[in-house]
Amino acid sequence: MRIAKRMKDRQPQWEELERLCDAMELRGKTDKALGGSYSGAEGIQRFASLYRSACADLALADAYQLPPATVAYLHRLVARAHNQLYRANRVDFRSWIDVLFVEAPKRIFADPCVRVSAIVFFGLFCLSMYLAFHEQQFPGYAEAMAGQSALEQAEDSFEQPLNASLGHYIVMSGFYIQHNTGIGLRCFAWGILIIPCLYVLASNAIQLGAVFGYMARSETASGDHFFQFVTAHGPFELTAIALSAAAGLRLGIGLFYTSGLSRIDSVRVNASRAVPIMGASAMLFVLAAFTEGFLSPSPAPYVFKAFWAILSSGLISFYFVILGFHDQPTSDVPSGKAKEDWDAA
Amino acid sequence: MTSIRALDTTIEVITPENISFDYQLAGPFRRLPAYLIDIVSRWCLIVLFVLPLYLSSLFFDIFTMRNLVTLPFFVAVTLLVYFVISWFYGTLMETYFNGRTIGKWITGIRVIEVDGRPITGRSALLRNLLRIADLAPMYAISNVAEGVPPIYMIPTGMVGLGTMMLTRRMQRLGDLAAGTMVVIDEKRWRIPVETVDDPRVPALATYLPADLRISRSMARTLAVYVDRRGAMAPTRRREIARHLIDPILEKVGFRPEIDPDLMMYTLYYHAFLRTEVAVSDTQDQVDLGVLRGHSPLRTSSVVCKHDNDAMPVERSSHVKSEPSDIDPAKSLQVKSREERP
Repeated sequence: MRIAKRMKDRQPQWEELERLCDAMELRGKTDKALGGSYSGAEGIQRFASLYRSACADLALADAYQLPPATVAYLHRLVARAHNQLYRANRVDFRSWIDVLFVEAPKRIFADPCVRVSAIVFFGLFCLSMYLAFHEQQFPGYAEAMAGQSALEQAEDSFEQPLNASLGHYIVMSGFYIQHNTGIGLRCFAWGILIIPCLYVLASNAIQLGAVFGYMARSETASGDHFFQFVTAHGPFELTAIALSAAAGLRLGIGLFYTSGLSRIDSVRVNASRAVPIMGASAMLFVLAAFTEGFLSPSPAPYVFKAFWAILSSGLISFYFVILGFHDQPTSDVPSGKAKEDWDAA
Repeated sequence: MTSIRALDTTIEVITPENISFDYQLAGPFRRLPAYLIDIVSRWCLIVLFVLPLYLSSLFFDIFTMRNLVTLPFFVAVTLLVYFVISWFYGTLMETYFNGRTIGKWITGIRVIEVDGRPITGRSALLRNLLRIADLAPMYAISNVAEGVPPIYMIPTGMVGLGTMMLTRRMQRLGDLAAGTMVVIDEKRWRIPVETVDDPRVPALATYLPADLRISRSMARTLAVYVDRRGAMAPTRRREIARHLIDPILEKVGFRPEIDPDLMMYTLYYHAFLRTEVAVSDTQDQVDLGVLRGHSPLRTSSVVCKHDNDAMPVERSSHVKSEPSDIDPAKSLQVKSREERP
């Protein structure tokens, strides 16, 4: 059979497949194509058989000696139909619950990056707090680190006893979700370049520590109100910052600690491992934001806030240790998609 | 699963059906407009969500005659909408619309996994979160240090551009981490069918041996040539075709002064367009047109020089009978070739 004739024979089917692709790209259904002659299961069947025959044409293109331009056309047609046949899975929220409560704690428990980032963050935080507290030994430290205006602003805003309206609570929790989670996500993203991530982590630790140390001084008037404010959401928020940086570091570590994989594969595997940690961090940020919005500025007794802080610390420990503990080290037994990547690599 | 052809922006993908096909990769000049459109549409989406909320909260306040009761809720929801859309616009769009955002849809590109599968939620999340790192370095500086002049706040995207240039699949850092690539996914292409409008071509083709086999590489060359000959001046066409045609002329026994461009066209016609019927049964009805009374075949002495091995044109033993207006001597010459092994 001559090529011209073969192409003439096949062309109507290719065009039909194109029309089906048009309809599926627009509506996700085959109903509207071809004047509604195919719909539902029938349409899918028709689409599948046309796709298969286009695939066969492409596979035999060389044997048929089709002109290169026609082969290029077939490549695009098959690619397009392939994209419609294998569509992206919509976000499955059940699988995300699984990621957050099964995969994430195990990764956090086993990941050395979490330890590094926790040591960097809490270490610098405590050090900075110590330096800012002892004004005699280290004069001007707090002002240099946090800035004079920031300290004054913090002092002013906590001069009055904590008391706010419901409207204020709602607005503030919305703001904290947007602002703080944003910082966490940014810190995570920069992790792939490592340096900016460490910089954000360290600068947050030092500035927060300086403010805490300054407020803890006995001569600071609004110190009591300040600690009443921060106690409740502290555990959630500080852990969340450290975790987001840990997830970022996990991304960046893949660049140079490849453990035998090619560099690109290593980045991919490590990035996939970092996602659950980042998810856990985002969850903690949201919890912290609600605490910070509703409980922290409320005039509730300090005992209650302290109780909430202890409870949240306990929950975090439970999440990290009880849910996270298991016999086998995770770094060798990745689960889910990471495992596929691992096997493929 | 995938292999990369060197020096080209296409990438081969092998599907679960074990079919391999090529995707065309999208470079920065397609992806930047898509990103800019996405920035605009992100803000449009935020406004689209927030405006009805604002209006309804306003109407509620007026209706209940109370002042600003719903305002805090409105502000909180606005902040949340802003947060979700500004951080997860790309993730949600790409997972719900099969690897496309509004900008990608307009510019005709799509993001898929490197092995050709559709993008998963985790990959979409990763590649969109890491966009910040791709916009570095300037963008990073402006976010880290306060009080820098605004000129440094322009995101230059050097990291993303650099990794796109260094990777074979033109991936930015986020794509590398997520294991995704961006491919061109155009909607419209014509099926390229060349029609031969030169009346001399079918006529000349009747002089070619009927079983003249065109090799695959030769067929490809012919198709590419015919595809592009319209863009070349006639003298240039001849210059290019000359090198390919000279050995073939010798082989099929045509005169060397035949226009090489016309000969290429004829071979193309022979390879792709001619139907079996026209050759075997209806050769008498072929209108020789301007060629009537002229034969392209050369005389006997020259033909013997041709060499079978060096040519991309294959020949089998059968040779078609010549049209009636050709010398008996030439017909004999062709027959003598028939006897060669």
